[in-house]
Amino acid sequence: MAPPGKESSFLEEDLMEDDYIESESESGSEEEERDVKLVEPSKNAIFNRDGLIEKLNDITWPEDVEWVHRLSIDIDQEKEVDVNDDLARELAFYTQALEGTRQAFEKLQSMGLPFLRPSDYYAEMVKTDVHMEKVKGRLLAEKKKIEEAEERKKAREAKRLAKEIQAEKLKERAKQKKQEIEAVKKWRKQRQRNGFPETGKDSELDLAFEDGKAFERSNKKRPGVSPGDRSGGKARQGGGFKGKKGKNREFRNSKFGFGGGKGLKKQNTAETTNDLRGFNQGSAAGNKKRKR
Amino acid sequence: MGKKRKHSETQVEAPVKKDESAPERPKRTLMGWKDKGEVKESDSQGFRNKEKVMITCSRRINYRYRHLMLNMVSLLPHCKKDNKVESRSSNGATLNELIELRSCSSCLFFECRKHQDLYLWMARCPGGPSVKFLVNAVHTMEELKLTGNHLKGSRPILTFSANFEKDAHWKLMKEVITQIFGTPKEYRKSKPYYDHVFVFSIVDDHIWFRNYQITVPHNESDKVARGGLDKMTLVEVGPRFCLNPIKIFGGSFGGPTLYENPFYISPNQIRALEKRQKAGKYAKKVKAKTRRKMHELSNPLEPDEFADMWKD
Repeated sequence: MAPPGKESSFLEEDLMEDDYIESESESGSEEEERDVKLVEPSKNAIFNRDGLIEKLNDITWPEDVEWVHRLSIDIDQEKEVDVNDDLARELAFYTQALEGTRQAFEKLQSMGLPFLRPSDYYAEMVKTDVHMEKVKGRLLAEKKKIEEAEERKKAREAKRLAKEIQAEKLKERAKQKKQEIEAVKKWRKQRQRNGFPETGKDSELDLAFEDGKAFERSNKKRPGVSPGDRSGGKARQGGGFKGKKGKNREFRNSKFGFGGGKGLKKQNTAETTNDLRGFNQGSAAGNKKRKR
Repeated sequence: MGKKRKHSETQVEAPVKKDESAPERPKRTLMGWKDKGEVKESDSQGFRNKEKVMITCSRRINYRYRHLMLNMVSLLPHCKKDNKVESRSSNGATLNELIELRSCSSCLFFECRKHQDLYLWMARCPGGPSVKFLVNAVHTMEELKLTGNHLKGSRPILTFSANFEKDAHWKLMKEVITQIFGTPKEYRKSKPYYDHVFVFSIVDDHIWFRNYQITVPHNESDKVARGGLDKMTLVEVGPRFCLNPIKIFGGSFGGPTLYENPFYISPNQIRALEKRQKAGKYAKKVKAKTRRKMHELSNPLEPDEFADMWKD
């Protein structure tokens, strides 16, 4: 064999390789590191096909060697795999392995050789138990994480649903009330038309229903009542028997509360924020001065 | 000099052997020249795979690559791990001597350069060919994402993608890989069951390696339940790596180059290129500035007729 390649030792080869690369330096592509290769094949690359085949014949095992010695299986890939698509690539490898194993197992089965490890066969494994424990721990942790996330999601969903249901219910209730009022009105009209005598009691009753608003709690705030006042402004009106206590006391009681929890007493509302009476205007000027 | 002479000796030896073996190739065994008489009387029944792989690495190897090497050691029961070899001074001859000393027939040599590039040599020892790969995309078996596990020393099933048959160099690599990675049958440290599979696949002119555990739902020792093979699943054990072939040499760790990857760029080159690009940034800026200035000088702005319109 007379290969075009030079006689090169281990070290020489590298030097050679380096300056061969040097000449090619401009044509390098700038992909990410692991996929970089020359755009076009370099011309002076050696390819000694005869030498390769000769070498191959030199080292191959005799052809009649049984398959069990070799245990190798060729699998045809149906289509080209895109290297940069990790998922597709791994899937291709997986299917190759799976297909190969299937074929191999069929062969082994037809030869009558045992190939599956019996469940009571214990032997040293490639990965230690300690390591497998770690792997298991990681898997469990991952699972837990997922479950927790799932739970949180579910809770959120439930909350949303409950809100919706509550709104629905309120609507329903309002509707019902309206209907009832309507019914009563109708009934009253009918009664009037029928000419029933109106007793005093009845008129009183009717008055209560007059415009149907008796059932609704008025949303309007009573004017003088501060938002946190638990007495609903009644403390301000004052009981007649407490004549001794002055107006001041009553006012303070209504404003600051008298007994009871603090609850919502200290919250701002639109009214309180717009109320600037409590501020001393002079002090604002002072602030300005201080700023300067 | 002495080393060199030794080297050339092995060179001379190789073709002679080839001449002997070429005409009656089917009768050859792996160690044909050693026990020729035995082989001649027996056919495939007498075939005995006596493969021994020496695994070693260069000094100053990265921990990651060292772990990869150790993984390979645990995957191949028919290997002998040797001490680290000095990378600079290691030339073919010393390594060959070492392999011979350990009475191995092939070698996996992990060579780490600059603490970051890993080269893998696969060599058949006495008359070999040897293949040099650049290794990238390394994932070791220690990674927790790879959840499989299998018996230590069970023989792997080797699967190759069909494109290994495409060209002579791929064929040669396939043969070398089968001989190195296949555990010899009835090897004393091997276990009699098959529970993992190696994948060698050529994608994008790189050889990708994967190792999967085979799990089959079965009840008895080797009776697979009906359709059990269909329910077979694989779990990845690792390690993973991707081999980029660089060169194939005729001898072991040297000799005439039989193949050269025409697309290969060394990682040094890539890094240099990156650096140059980065370095070019400032120079480019300066250049752009001067160019702008030149441009402005060469075509001055026309005097604006409305310039003093509001200056009354």
